Amino acid sequence: MFLPGVLPPAVADSVSTAAFSPGLSLQLHAGAIAPEAAVLIALLTCLLVDLAGEKAASRWVPPLCYAGLGTALVLLALQWDGPQDPAFLGSFLADNLAIAFRAVVAASTLLSLLLSWRYVEQSGTPVGEYAAILLAATLGAMFLCGATDLVSIFISLETLSVSSYLLSGYMKRDARSSEAALKYLLVGSAAAAVFLYGASLLYGLTGGGTSLTEVASALQTSASPVTALALVFVLATVAFKIAAVPFHQWTPDVYEGSPTPVVAFLSVGSKAAGFALALRLLVGCFESFDAQWKLLFTVLAVLSMVLGNVVALAQTSMKRMLAYSSIGQAGFVMIGLVCGTEDGFAAMVLYMAAYLFMNLGAFACIILFSLRTGSDRIADYAGLYQKDPLITLGLSLCLLSLGGIPPMLGFFGKIYLFFAGWADHQYLLVVVGLVTSVVSIYYYISVIKMMVVKEPQEASDVVKAYPEISWNLAGLQPLRAALITCLLATAVGGVLSNPLFTWANSTVAGTPILMHAIG
Amino acid sequence: MTIASTTQQICFLVLSATLVFGSLGVVLLPNIVYSAFLLGGVFLSVAGLYLMLNASFVAAAQVLVYVGAVNVLILFAIMLVNKQETLAAIPGLLLRRILSGAVCAGLFLLLVRVAFTTDWALPGPTPIGDEATIRIGEHLFSDYLLPFELASVLLLMAMIGAIVLARRDVFSSDVITGEPVDQGLIEKSRTPLLLDTNDQKRPMLENTP
Repeated sequence: MFLPGVLPPAVADSVSTAAFSPGLSLQLHAGAIAPEAAVLIALLTCLLVDLAGEKAASRWVPPLCYAGLGTALVLLALQWDGPQDPAFLGSFLADNLAIAFRAVVAASTLLSLLLSWRYVEQSGTPVGEYAAILLAATLGAMFLCGATDLVSIFISLETLSVSSYLLSGYMKRDARSSEAALKYLLVGSAAAAVFLYGASLLYGLTGGGTSLTEVASALQTSASPVTALALVFVLATVAFKIAAVPFHQWTPDVYEGSPTPVVAFLSVGSKAAGFALALRLLVGCFESFDAQWKLLFTVLAVLSMVLGNVVALAQTSMKRMLAYSSIGQAGFVMIGLVCGTEDGFAAMVLYMAAYLFMNLGAFACIILFSLRTGSDRIADYAGLYQKDPLITLGLSLCLLSLGGIPPMLGFFGKIYLFFAGWADHQYLLVVVGLVTSVVSIYYYISVIKMMVVKEPQEASDVVKAYPEISWNLAGLQPLRAALITCLLATAVGGVLSNPLFTWANSTVAGTPILMHAIG
Repeated sequence: MTIASTTQQICFLVLSATLVFGSLGVVLLPNIVYSAFLLGGVFLSVAGLYLMLNASFVAAAQVLVYVGAVNVLILFAIMLVNKQETLAAIPGLLLRRILSGAVCAGLFLLLVRVAFTTDWALPGPTPIGDEATIRIGEHLFSDYLLPFELASVLLLMAMIGAIVLARRDVFSSDVITGEPVDQGLIEKSRTPLLLDTNDQKRPMLENTP
């Protein structure tokens, strides 16, 4: 990344004086990464506890993870609107954008872990390592949200990616899981290589600096073809992380082959980190190439919304359907990114928070269903309301919310996105968004119809042989708690969404790069 | 032209030629053992290029890590998995090769054009020679401290993940309930029943767009 001896003397001097001056500990502002430290401590304790055997691990790892992630969330709340000094000599910045997205990532991990315990135990894989790898992925994603230096961005991106590959291949005796991990690894490494190439071009343009502020000021003055090439390379990486069409080919296979709680994390946490990276790189650095990247993202958004929602119609597996639906949902969020107005950014943040609850709620239901029946085929849900009203209610509400039906949280998120797009004259995006929303409502409703409308004698064999509902087993109570939390947030959050709107707006107001872009 | 610059020129040409032809061989040769050995040559010539750029520490690291560890590991893997397997012929292989060749050539032309049309800031900063190692150390413990520490988490996780995936012990039963388990996905793959006629009968992971 950085060749020795190629640094301009001025930078090198400032570095060496900074490195050996007595005030180093003050300059580091290490408090900015306190939430990540909490996650890291939880990770290490999980690994240590795991030494005591599988029984001890399954007893002690869950509370340790809750403690670590809970502390991280509290520390993030304490950082809100705090001082925005660049931490670690410009490697990390805890502005409100970073805090909001880190909170989404940490909350998505917490909820995914709540969904995971029973699934992992029932598949017979070690719990301690599972939690540790998921926490490492969280750590990478959280650092990615606040990283302001190309090297930090790359390392945190790799931490997130490598942990995700490991998690998707975690069910190692299952060929589908191994296939998912292999595909994800190959495509992900190619994307990482492309990012490095783009980053090396940016490094060359700045004349030997890797911090994003230097990159931004170098890009202000240069309009050479190299910049366009770097933009395309960096954009491809971002698009890969948020699974935008045409960089989405890995998504359906990885989602189908990975353990379902991991898919829940990938579809929310990993995506949120990708959007934070997009905001930091595109809005923060490529400001002088506004028109170009907005055009590219318009194309990506239209393709994602159309392809994601249309192909989801034909799916027979629930996980695969949610994979395509998540591609479509990422397309909706991109509308806010393309707008580049205050409302657009706030709508992005709001929709990510809403998406956290509704998507994880849907995943909680399908995990519970597959734990009880061992199936994730949509046809197997036929007649479920007779046997399991909770899953039926939860899945219906979350899917309606994902489709954007009025009283739910998803409706308000989506209407805010479309409103921001319309106000910024992005008519094409808004019209495509509205049409594809209608398409998405069709396939979401057809699942609900499958569960609710079928008569008892039409129920699938799986539902006919449905086991007695019991919550006694260890790990099912956390699952129920997560399910009900998501359900309440999705159902009631829409009506009481004013605090969320305020939160999203103050996220934008407390982020210098976004305020600068708004002008 | 002095002797020094001529020598440098010759070294550069030789290293570049090894690099280009070696990497073409890695990709194009059908025998995987040749590819692996050529890969070692490619890594070595990259190390030579680093040396010519006055980056002796990076060159040493390149030899130690890539040639000493990565390439040897690849060779071990090839030797351990000594399985003769005739792969089924891929339909339309020639067309695919031509297409991918065209894409690669297009990308190459684009990169070359961009490299020549950009006005690079030449000559760059003066090299500091052997002090580079000290400078790298300073960077690692000052402005690159965060990525440096994060890399340790990355390596720890990669190691643990590799152990989890490679170790043999299989819990034969659920720790909580004692039921038999198989370390597979909970969603079992089932052959579609004859009853669901409206179901598309498709393989488990097919390539949909």
